[in-house]
Amino acid sequence: MSDNFNPNIVAFLCNWCSYAGADLAGTSRVQYPANVQIIRVMCSGRVNPLYVMNALQQGADGVLVSGCHPGDCHYMEGNYYARRRLGMLKDLMEFIGVDPRRFNMSWVSASEGHKWKEVVEKSVEDAREAGPFEGFRRRQIDW
Amino acid sequence: MSAMLLNKEKWAEFVGKLAGKTIWAPRTDGEELRFLPLENGEVPEFDYNNTRVPPKQAVFPQTETMFRFQLGTEELEQPQLEEEMIVFGIRPCDARAMAIVDNLFKWDVEDPYYLKRREKTTLVGLTCSDPGLNCFCPSLGGGPASTEGLDLLMTDLGDSYLMEALTEKGETLVAETKDLLDKAGTDAQKNKDTLVKEAEKKINRSIDTAGIPEGLPGLWDHLLWRNVSASCLGCGTCTYLCPTCHCFDIQDETEGFEARRCRMWDSCMFAEYTMHASGHNPRATRQERTRNRINHKYSYYVDKFDTIACVGCGRCINLCPVNIDIVDILKQVKEAL
Amino acid sequence: MDLEQLRKIAAEVVAREDVNYLIGWKQGTYGYRVAPVFIEDPADASELIFSPLCTANLATYLTLVEKPPLPRGQEPDTRKVALMVKGCDSRAVAQLLVEKGINREGVVIIGCPCPGMVDHSLLAEKYPETEDLAEIKWDGEGFLLLRDGEEVKLDRYEVLAEKCRLCRYPNPLVSDILLGEEVEPWEPEEDSGVTEIEDKDIEGRWAYWEEQFANCVRCYSCRNVCPLCYCEDCILDRLNPDWINRSVNFSENTAFHIARAFHLAGRCSECGECERVCPANIPLGRLNRKLAREVRDKYGFEPGLDPEAEPFQASYKPDDPEDFIL
Repeated sequence: MSDNFNPNIVAFLCNWCSYAGADLAGTSRVQYPANVQIIRVMCSGRVNPLYVMNALQQGADGVLVSGCHPGDCHYMEGNYYARRRLGMLKDLMEFIGVDPRRFNMSWVSASEGHKWKEVVEKSVEDAREAGPFEGFRRRQIDW
Repeated sequence: MSAMLLNKEKWAEFVGKLAGKTIWAPRTDGEELRFLPLENGEVPEFDYNNTRVPPKQAVFPQTETMFRFQLGTEELEQPQLEEEMIVFGIRPCDARAMAIVDNLFKWDVEDPYYLKRREKTTLVGLTCSDPGLNCFCPSLGGGPASTEGLDLLMTDLGDSYLMEALTEKGETLVAETKDLLDKAGTDAQKNKDTLVKEAEKKINRSIDTAGIPEGLPGLWDHLLWRNVSASCLGCGTCTYLCPTCHCFDIQDETEGFEARRCRMWDSCMFAEYTMHASGHNPRATRQERTRNRINHKYSYYVDKFDTIACVGCGRCINLCPVNIDIVDILKQVKEAL
Repeated sequence: MDLEQLRKIAAEVVAREDVNYLIGWKQGTYGYRVAPVFIEDPADASELIFSPLCTANLATYLTLVEKPPLPRGQEPDTRKVALMVKGCDSRAVAQLLVEKGINREGVVIIGCPCPGMVDHSLLAEKYPETEDLAEIKWDGEGFLLLRDGEEVKLDRYEVLAEKCRLCRYPNPLVSDILLGEEVEPWEPEEDSGVTEIEDKDIEGRWAYWEEQFANCVRCYSCRNVCPLCYCEDCILDRLNPDWINRSVNFSENTAFHIARAFHLAGRCSECGECERVCPANIPLGRLNRKLAREVRDKYGFEPGLDPEAEPFQASYKPDDPEDFIL
């Protein structure tokens, strides 16, 4: 693993908690790695496994999904479904041979700016250890 | 055209003389026999009935880039297609299939990709000595030693191969390797004829196609289509593994700031094959699609190009998951006529 | 089970006024083949068989049937469909009922307790197929192959299908009519297909699956044969949005298979059809069974046992495992 490798992490954050939490981290001038690209979704339960697969196909080295804490979902149950479904996705990806460090899930509430920093640092470190993602990444196909 | 003999022991040298060209031959990849590029020193496996996937991939790859381009430029990067290829061990039915498909790609629009590849490819066939369970090529004008579509026909005569050049490309191949080849005598021919007769005896499926091309359109509303298609899953197995099937879809794909237009195999058995942009689908049910497939192969293609677009290789019968059997369907068609 | 009994009952069912047709198995066109058959006339019920070669899961035809627009004035046919199911097939039917993919009143389920099915290719390796139609019967624990006037005894584990070695539910779990006696369930083997891959490290696993997915020709047989893949407009086909490109290479193929396996998490009835029909011999059963096992172990849930259960991915428990969450 070269020290120059800067992983690309794509993060799907739920609008009500995690996105607000990340925003709070920003306004509080918390320093955290800039490797993360945030995509806002309304609820973590909206995250389709195809989002995760597509992100990896298009060049992400890691994917992070973050939502409200169980019991606090703005839509009551979305994060519960996300917990089940994305847990299954993680098992499946590990079975296929994708390093489990590349896919992380977290609960970050709107007031947890510092937790967001820790989550990002952990994701980036995990992806850095796992190395650049080759796997089933889309490559320019030969003629 | 010349008939020569190649002693099997000289095979490696023979292939060595053809350096610079890509050579495809049947090889076992894991557990499966397929047509793959032959690496240095590798020996192909000719002791087989037929590969699961036909070698139409050599001239009609499953996914083929038509051109590439980048955002911000106006140039299209076209493929060179300069690669010279020799396909060894292709069965006469698969080669005949290519000759049949050539008709279409030369028809109203000359397909530059297919024709360029075809021009650069030499097909060296291998006479069948052990036809498969579901082969029925003689019923459709083929045979274990049919030469249509081939540039050179090899026959395994035990310790040597009989090489019969059939076209200019075949003669060129023979000329390039002539110091390794011996002249073939009448014995060799006799052995080959015996082999072919034995092989023909082993083919036990047949269908009488007389009257089918003309009569099929008249059976449009017949109940037999409902019966034969009721168990069809609408998957693409029969079409993808058929050496004469040639339908394709064209899509644009992007990767960052680069994009390419590519074409890939499509199947008339898929539901969205004839789906219109409005959502209307003239062939919405499997019954209509099955009827279309048989009509296309056995009637419409005959109208256009005077040849049935089926070579009797039997792959669709072997691999259809629900045992939809084209010979059985044609028998029902004959009865209905 | 008695074949005469089966045919008699089937004929009675088809003769009912409220039944449109019956889906069962009949002998194929050569060798060991068995084909699905759709019976509308009670007289045709004599074609039905139930033998160790009837591996096909007929539940897929419940949702495969198309409903094209009808000519004006013509009413849709609302009669029931009768279906013959084995244990694994009945799980698919039960799951379809859970998801309301079919109507319970729209089907008549004829349950066939299943002592185990033969793997076609294992059998053909030992006793190559010929054009003559062969018959196979259950014979005690094993099988009896009848062909060309000869009888060959087959040891059970010589030719038993992999899915049957792992089977936990040989008896139909939901049925209207049960044919014959229920069979004694046997001890399922350990799933060596899945554990073989779990024993590899990450690179080894990817090397294995990369090779498999590179062979995939995207014929969609696996998806079409699956009774639980019945979306009219499959998201993996759609070009708007274009999640998976139409071009065929291992990257797109991997995305296709992972997405499909994921959509089947907690729904797959482990009938093994996807693996059986694959023309490239990709061991898809391992993917789906791995997830099925995870659902069993982590959530204590098995799909297809109870037609009134809650769907796995559309329900939750407040104390679901979350050890993977940061």
